Amino acid sequence: MNKIESPEESRKKFDRIFTDLTRSIVKKDELTRFWFFILLMFIGVGLWGWIIQIDKGLGVTGMRDYVSWGLYIANFVFFVAVSLVGLLISSVLQLLNFSWGKTISRAAEQIAIATVALAGIIIVMDMGRPDRLLNVFLHGRFASPIVWDLTVVSTYLAISVLLFYIPLIPDLAIMRDRMGSKVPAWKLKIYTILALGWNGNPQQYAIVYHAVRVLMILIIPIGLSIHTVTSWLFAATLRPGWDSTIFGPYFVVGAFVAGTAALIILMYVYRLRYGLKDYFDDFHFDKMGRLLVLVCLVYLYFNINEFLVPAYKMKSAEGVHLKDLFSGAYAFLFWFVQIAGIALPIVLIRIKYFRKPLPLSIISVFVLFSAWFKRYLIVIPTMEHPFLPVQNVPEHFHHYAPTSTEIMIMLFSFFTSIFIISVLAKFFPVITIWEYAEEKGIDRKYFTEKS
Amino acid sequence: MNTKWKLFLIATLAFPAQQVLSQDWMVPSDHTALTNPSEYNLENIKKGKELYTRNCQSCHGDPGKNNPLALLPLPVDIASERMHANSEGDLFYKITTGRGVMPPFESTISENERWKLINFIMNFKPGGNQLLVDAPPVKVKLLASVNENKSTVEILAEREDAESTGLENAPVIISAKKTFGNIELGRAITNENGRAEFTIPENVIGDEEGYVSIVVSMGDGYDAHEVALEKAKVGKNKVVPRLIKGEVLWSTNNNIQLWLLLSYISAAGGAWLVIGYAIYQIIKIKKLSKSS
Amino acid sequence: MENKNRRNFMKTLLASIGAAGVAGSSSILSSCDRIEAVDGDKITLLTSSGELVEVDKSQLKPAELPSLSQNQKQGREGLPGKSWVMVIDLSKCRNARECMKACQNHHQLRPEQHHINVLQMQDAEHTAPYFMPKPCQHCDNPPCTKVCPVNATFKREDGIVLIDNERCIGCRFCIAACPYSARVFNWFEPRDAEKYEGVTYNIEANVPQKKGTISKCLFSADLLRDGKLPSCVSACPNGVYWFGDRNEDAVTNGTTKETLSFSKLLSEGAAYTLMKDLGTEPRVYYLPAKDRAFPFTGEQV
Repeated sequence: MNKIESPEESRKKFDRIFTDLTRSIVKKDELTRFWFFILLMFIGVGLWGWIIQIDKGLGVTGMRDYVSWGLYIANFVFFVAVSLVGLLISSVLQLLNFSWGKTISRAAEQIAIATVALAGIIIVMDMGRPDRLLNVFLHGRFASPIVWDLTVVSTYLAISVLLFYIPLIPDLAIMRDRMGSKVPAWKLKIYTILALGWNGNPQQYAIVYHAVRVLMILIIPIGLSIHTVTSWLFAATLRPGWDSTIFGPYFVVGAFVAGTAALIILMYVYRLRYGLKDYFDDFHFDKMGRLLVLVCLVYLYFNINEFLVPAYKMKSAEGVHLKDLFSGAYAFLFWFVQIAGIALPIVLIRIKYFRKPLPLSIISVFVLFSAWFKRYLIVIPTMEHPFLPVQNVPEHFHHYAPTSTEIMIMLFSFFTSIFIISVLAKFFPVITIWEYAEEKGIDRKYFTEKS
Repeated sequence: MNTKWKLFLIATLAFPAQQVLSQDWMVPSDHTALTNPSEYNLENIKKGKELYTRNCQSCHGDPGKNNPLALLPLPVDIASERMHANSEGDLFYKITTGRGVMPPFESTISENERWKLINFIMNFKPGGNQLLVDAPPVKVKLLASVNENKSTVEILAEREDAESTGLENAPVIISAKKTFGNIELGRAITNENGRAEFTIPENVIGDEEGYVSIVVSMGDGYDAHEVALEKAKVGKNKVVPRLIKGEVLWSTNNNIQLWLLLSYISAAGGAWLVIGYAIYQIIKIKKLSKSS
Repeated sequence: MENKNRRNFMKTLLASIGAAGVAGSSSILSSCDRIEAVDGDKITLLTSSGELVEVDKSQLKPAELPSLSQNQKQGREGLPGKSWVMVIDLSKCRNARECMKACQNHHQLRPEQHHINVLQMQDAEHTAPYFMPKPCQHCDNPPCTKVCPVNATFKREDGIVLIDNERCIGCRFCIAACPYSARVFNWFEPRDAEKYEGVTYNIEANVPQKKGTISKCLFSADLLRDGKLPSCVSACPNGVYWFGDRNEDAVTNGTTKETLSFSKLLSEGAAYTLMKDLGTEPRVYYLPAKDRAFPFTGEQV
C-alpha cells in the first residue's frame, strides 16, 4: 500500500479505477432503459392505488376497526429496519477501524437514504387524512411516540444524506474534471455545482474527514433511536405481543440482520451488473457473511427471550397470541421466518462455501424476505387478538387480509426505494473513488488531473 | 333529491316497519282455547299486580295510562281493546314464548304465576267486572320549609277537600335534587295534626357552597303538588377535585412532563445543531475552493 | 335573615331560568340539522336523533348555534364542576340492543360501527355467560390520549375523553393503544354523509362524522350540556344504565329515572371496573351479572 509507484503507473491505475467505478454512470443499454421503465410503471401503478385510497377512504385496504394497522405499518417497520445498515456499515465499522467497510459504505448509505425516505412516505400513505399532515407541526404533542418517530426519521434522513454527500464531494470534482463528453452536459453541470469548486487542497480534505467523523458519531444515537422509537409505537401500548420491554434492542438487532442482508444483495447486483468483481470481491462477501452470522446470533438470543419467557408463563391474552403463532393460523409463517431468517444463515454461513458471493446472496434473499414477514408477524397477529372479544361486526373484521390496492401501494414503496438507489447509482459512483484510490496507494495529486 | 325520490325512500323505509306492526302474532288454536285455571278473585289479581309491576310495567306502562316505552313495535297497554282482543289462552301463549323485543317468560315466571298475571290483565277488560279498583288519590295541600339551623324539613299536609284538616299518618318523601333526578333522602309520617319533621342526614352533598335543593312529595295514593325548596344551606360542600393538574402524560403540551420536554428538545436540538455544524463545514469547503 | 334574602333571590333567579327553559324548548326543534321539506305552515325536520318530525312553522325560532371554533373551545373545556360516571348493571342486560341503536342514530354510525357494543362474555369455561354493554371507559389514565400526536383526542376536566375530528390525522395509534377496543374509524364516507353535508361540526356529538377520522363513545356530551342523559342510557328498556356526577355522589337510572347514591350503589352491588390491572382507571363501573331475572339464551333478541 505504501509502495511508491511511478507517476505513469499511478495514473494508469487511477484511470482503471475511475473507468470501473463510473461504469454505472456511463453505461447505457437496453437493459437500463427497460429497468427504469419497469420501475416507473410500478411507481405509477402504486400512485394510482394511492389516489383510489384517498378518494374512497382507507376502507379500500383490508384494515378494519380491530386490525387497524396492516401492511403499511409492517412495511414501514421493515424500511426503517433496512435503513439501519447505514449506521452499522458507514459508522460503526469505520469507527472501529474495519477498513473493508469503506468500500461498501456508499452502497450502505444509498440503501439508508432510499429506505428511510420511503419509511416517511409510507407513514403518510397510512394516514386517514394525509391532507392534515401539517397538524403534526401545528399541534404536535411532544408526549406522542409518533412525534418522536417523525423527528428521528427526518433527522436520520438528513444525516444519511450528508454522510452520502460529504465524502462524495471529491468524487464529484474528479467526475467534473474527467467525465468530459462521456455524460451529457446537464449531468456535468450538476457535478460542477455539487463539487463546490473543490480543488483538492489538504485543508478541504481535512474538513471532509472531520465532518464525516462528526456525523459518524452523531448517527449512532440517532440510528439507534430511530428503530427504538419505532419499536415504541408498539411497546407503548398494552396489547399482548407488543407489551414488551426488550422491543427496542430486539428491533435494532433485527434491523441489522435485515440491513446486512439487503446490502449483500445490492453488492452482488453491483458486482454483476457493473463488473465490479475486483471491488466487491470474495473478501468483502466473506466479511459480510461473518457479520450476518454475528447479528443473526444476537437476534436469535433476542427471539428466545421474546418468545420463551412469555410462553413459559402463558398469561391469558398473551397465551392466545403465542398459540396462534406457534401452532395456529400463523404457524407456517412464524416457523418459516425463524428458520429461513435466523437458523439457516447461522448454520450455513459458518461454512466457508456459503460465504462466496452467489450462495451468500441467495441466503440473503431468504433473510430479507423473512425479515419482511417478521414485521408482518409483529404487527398483524397482535391486532387480531384484542383483550375483549370481537363481536357484532362483519366476518372480515375478524381477520386481516391485504387487498390489491394495499399491495399496489406497498409495491410502490418497494419500487420507489429501488428507483432511488438506481438513480443514485446512475448519477454517482457506487464506491468512493478517492478513498479507494488512496487505499491503493495512489497520491491525491493525480485525482484532480484532467484526463 | 327530488320529491319522487323522497317518496320512494319513505315508502321503502316505511314498508318493513309497517309489516312488523301489522303482522299478526299467530297463536296455535289449541292455545287460544285454553281457559285460566286461576280463579278470578281479588287475591289472585293482587298477586298478578305484583308480578306485573316487577316484570312488565317497565315496558307496558301503567294500565290505562297509555304510557309504554318507545319500542318497535310499541308495547300494548293492558287496559286497551287491542290487548283484550286476545283470549286468556292467547295471552298465556304470548307471555310464555315472547317475540321480538318481548322476552319469553317461560323460565322466569312460573306457569301458575303467569295465569295470575292474566287475572290482573283481565281486571282491566273493557266492560268487564273490575275487582281491584285503585282508590281515587286523596288530594292534599302540601306545605314545607327548611330550618337551616336545625337542618330539618318541617312539613304540613292538609286535606284539600275538607276544611283543611291535618292529614294523619301520611307518608311524605323528602328528596334532594341532583343533575338528572331527585335522590330520596328519607320518609316521614305525619302526626295527628298533619305535621311532620324530617332531619336531613349530615352527609347530603349540596352544590359547591353546600346549598341543597330539597323536594318534598307525597307517597302513592296521594295527589299533591310537590314542594321544591331551592337552595337551602343544609348540605356538605361539593368537592370538585381538579382532574388535570400537574404533569400528566395523557394531557396536552401544557401538562407535559418537564423532563420529557427537555429531553426531546435537547436530543432533537442537539442533533440538528450538529447537522448544522456539518453543513457549515460544507460551506467552509466551498469558501476554501474560492480562496486558493 | 341574610340567608333568607339570598334564598328568595335565588328562587326568583331560578324561576326566571325555568321560564326561559320552557320558552327555549322550541329552539331545540330549530336546532334540528336540516329542513327536509316545506309544506304550508307545517314543516318536516330531521332531529339530531335521526327522527323526522312535523312541526308548526310558527314554533320555529332561530337558534343560536355556537360557531365551530366556539364549539371546539367549549367542547375541550367540559362542563364545570362535573365528573361523569356510568354504572352498568349486568344483571339487568337482556341484550335488547336499544342502546346500540340509539347510539348509532345519535352519532351517525354505520351498522358495523359501535360506540357501545353489547358483548357476550364468558369468563371461564364453567362460569355463566352474560351480556356486557361496553362503551368507551373514559379512563382517568387514558392510553389513547397519551399517544395522539396532534391532541385530537383529549381528556376534559369533567372526565370525558373526546375527539376533535377536525384535527384528527387518522394515524389510528389510539386504536392500537386502547385495550377496550372502544374506538372506531371511518374507513369510508360515513353513513348518510350527504344528509349531513354543510352541518356545522359538533365536537360533543362528533357529528358530522368525517372520512378518515376516528370516532368513539363520548357519553353524549352534547346531551349532557342540555341536562339530558346520554342516548344509550335513556334508550335502555331494562334499567341497565346508571349515569351521573361523581362529585355529587348521585347516579340516575335511564329507564326508571330513579336516583341513588353512587357510592352506595357501588359498594352494595360489589362493583368492579374492566381490566383494572392495566391501570387505566375507567369511569365506567360494572355490577356483576348475578341474580338475573331471565335466562341467558346466547342469541340476539
